[in-house]
Amino acid sequence: MTTMMDRPASTPGHSAPKKALIERLNIFTAFGLGIIGAIVFWYLAKAILPANTDGSYIKSNRDQYVLLAMIGWLIGFMTGIGALVGPFRWLLGKDLSHEENLFYAGKDQGVKRYFRYTTDHKVVGIQYLVTTMVVFFVGGVLAMLIRTNLGHAGGGWLQPQTYNAIVGMHGIIMIVATIIMVTGPFGNFIMPIMIGARDMAFPRLNALSLWLIIAAIPCILSSIFLGGIPTGWVAYNPLASQGPPGQDGYIMFICIFALSTMVAGANITTTVIKMRAKGMTWNRTPIFIYGVVASVALALPAFPFFFLSQVLSAMDRATGSTFYDTRGGGSGWLYENLFWIMGHPEVYVILIPAVAALMEMAPVFTRRPLFSFNMAIMGIAGISGLSVLVWAHHMYTTGWAPLLNGPFMLTTELISIPTGLLFLVLIGTLWRGRLWMTMPTASIYALLWNFMIGGVTGIYLSDVPIDGALHGSMFVTAHFHYTLMGAGLTGAIASLVYWFPKMTGRMFDKTLSWIGFWFVQIGFNIAFIGMFLVGLAGQPRRVGSYAALFDRGNMITTGGAYLIMSGMLVLLYGVISSWTHGAKAPMNPWFAKTLEWSVPNPVPLENFDVLPVVTSDAYGYGKAQS
Amino acid sequence: MSVETHGHVNPHHEHPDVVGSRNRLGLILLLVADIAFALGVIFVYFYLKGQNVNDMWLPKASDTQDATVPVSSMGAWYVTIIAAVGLLFHQYALAGVKVKNQTQLVLGSGLAFVASLAALIYQGILMNNVSFTITMGAYASCYYLIAGLNVVHLFLTSFISLGNWNRSRLGLYVSDHWHVRIVSVWWIWMTISSLLGAFALSFT
Repeated sequence: MTTMMDRPASTPGHSAPKKALIERLNIFTAFGLGIIGAIVFWYLAKAILPANTDGSYIKSNRDQYVLLAMIGWLIGFMTGIGALVGPFRWLLGKDLSHEENLFYAGKDQGVKRYFRYTTDHKVVGIQYLVTTMVVFFVGGVLAMLIRTNLGHAGGGWLQPQTYNAIVGMHGIIMIVATIIMVTGPFGNFIMPIMIGARDMAFPRLNALSLWLIIAAIPCILSSIFLGGIPTGWVAYNPLASQGPPGQDGYIMFICIFALSTMVAGANITTTVIKMRAKGMTWNRTPIFIYGVVASVALALPAFPFFFLSQVLSAMDRATGSTFYDTRGGGSGWLYENLFWIMGHPEVYVILIPAVAALMEMAPVFTRRPLFSFNMAIMGIAGISGLSVLVWAHHMYTTGWAPLLNGPFMLTTELISIPTGLLFLVLIGTLWRGRLWMTMPTASIYALLWNFMIGGVTGIYLSDVPIDGALHGSMFVTAHFHYTLMGAGLTGAIASLVYWFPKMTGRMFDKTLSWIGFWFVQIGFNIAFIGMFLVGLAGQPRRVGSYAALFDRGNMITTGGAYLIMSGMLVLLYGVISSWTHGAKAPMNPWFAKTLEWSVPNPVPLENFDVLPVVTSDAYGYGKAQS
Repeated sequence: MSVETHGHVNPHHEHPDVVGSRNRLGLILLLVADIAFALGVIFVYFYLKGQNVNDMWLPKASDTQDATVPVSSMGAWYVTIIAAVGLLFHQYALAGVKVKNQTQLVLGSGLAFVASLAALIYQGILMNNVSFTITMGAYASCYYLIAGLNVVHLFLTSFISLGNWNRSRLGLYVSDHWHVRIVSVWWIWMTISSLLGAFALSFT
């Protein structure tokens, strides 16, 4: 195989040399081959598969064609982006040369490297950032459609089925966006530099995790044209088995995303365990690193259950198996267990890195050491450990194993103890600190406020009798928005502003960051306090119309939602304008002590000329020896 | 964070043991996910068997359908035995590379590839010859799930074993052999996974 370095240099009068295969592959070839793959698999399925005449309950040819077309899309896309080059070169015994690895790292390729299977962790971090913002934008538009429809009593302008489909799409898109919003951009760009490494442990797996997500996005978006996801984001079976082909888009989206998460989890964990700088003992490892590792390590054993739940769902729909169909010996409780074994740890997969990022910023903006580093680690470990033992609190009202309701209530309420430790760490760090009031600093306060409301209402919902009254109401919706958005997204946006100078070489516009912050936080609290009120009064979730008595609360919520949207648009404008025209950032604008601020802007290809040796922790503010 | 700048240089030529150790940990972490998935599959089998919803774990004969008769688990055990033999061949290859015996390495990895292929084909034959279809009750669904997981694992094993044999043949493991050790980790897990499936299918 020709490598890019084997080719002779072009000389005047001669035609340009032929490009090597790896130089030809990019996002356009990926989409091209992906579409071809989908079409080929669709026609093959139609030509080969027999018509459904065996009398199975759920199986349909339509689902077979759609699922196979999406598998064809995935194979074509990953071939087109170049993900299969490495494995097949390994098989053939023709390992990538040093020059080819440099090409994959994006060396001297300018902006083109962002559209290729580039392995440099900084490029992957930026790709994740843009991908996350695009996914949030789509989810946000769907959120505004929901709130606009709920603007007045008696239903809005959306058909009930369309409304349900939009709610389902919004839910799953936002869940995935919040899962990747911190570990994706900042876990990839910042984390390796923060631990003093030159790159991730497995750069090609790093690119694989990113491009799998990009391949998954069209699957979920295609659901819009295939009848949507009328089941809500949980896609409970056997209801989902009877859904339109849009459910197949959901299934493929989750399966591909789960693969991406497993790959990213193994990669990030290995990087942190094996590649920390000399002298960076576990006591000197920044708290953000603990947050990222806890998040991905939690996802590693949890997401396969989600993956499995969707494999079974696909088999029911496409082959006529009866895993979830009681008429054939299946059980809806099986789905619920598999789903929530992933579903509750996932909340902490989202929350922990966002809170850890704010704990990383707190010492910087208070110029004080992190209050009780060990307590922070105990908090993270405690939450991670308990989070896998609480899943059935989502199933109190289903009738599954009523004898276990008590134990699950206990484990769920126990989780408030390690969560409280994280609160103590943040408050202890802020206490009597000399505050440098930036937008990330204000975000710490916002997190404490929002997470407190989300946490306390979570304790109510973990209580079996109260859950019986509130389950399926808007109260639940408000509760998880307070945790995932009020705490998680607040931490992610603060992370963006904090690490923006290192990632882009420019400062985030201060005024815009403040305007965006206040619009989002005020709008958020208006929107979801209103939602708590209507939820307490009994308004069910996932219903496109409501009685007149809920009118005022919904009007407040919709008003708050528009305020959030305004703030988000300001922040989006802030990202674009700061990235293109912002003030040039100095190497260490926050005077922070973690390693990422010791490398110049833009960060060199291999981060460090000489690998650092760490001699103290990152929080020695106010100490003479630091 | 205090930093000294006289650390070690030379990022591109790490010691093979360092690279191997990193890769081994990476594979083990990936296996954590695969183990979770496989245990999930076993959970599904025993959960649905235990529930026996509507007495449809093994449906009885009706006007429209024959009774579902469970297959003998011996077929699944034979697949596991072939996989175990493949693992032994691979271990033989690993022992060869450790003492720099190229012939033993090539022979062992080649035989391991043949074993993985044989197990894959035999698994396919077993699936083709059962007396029920996937739609005939929860046991039938679970049988295909377990067999399907075996097929995926064996397909991956065949791919990896083929690459391993080819690389052995080309003499790429002369200077360092961490690839062979890592493939060994995969073989061990694949055999255990097959064994778990056979174990589950022994309870009908």
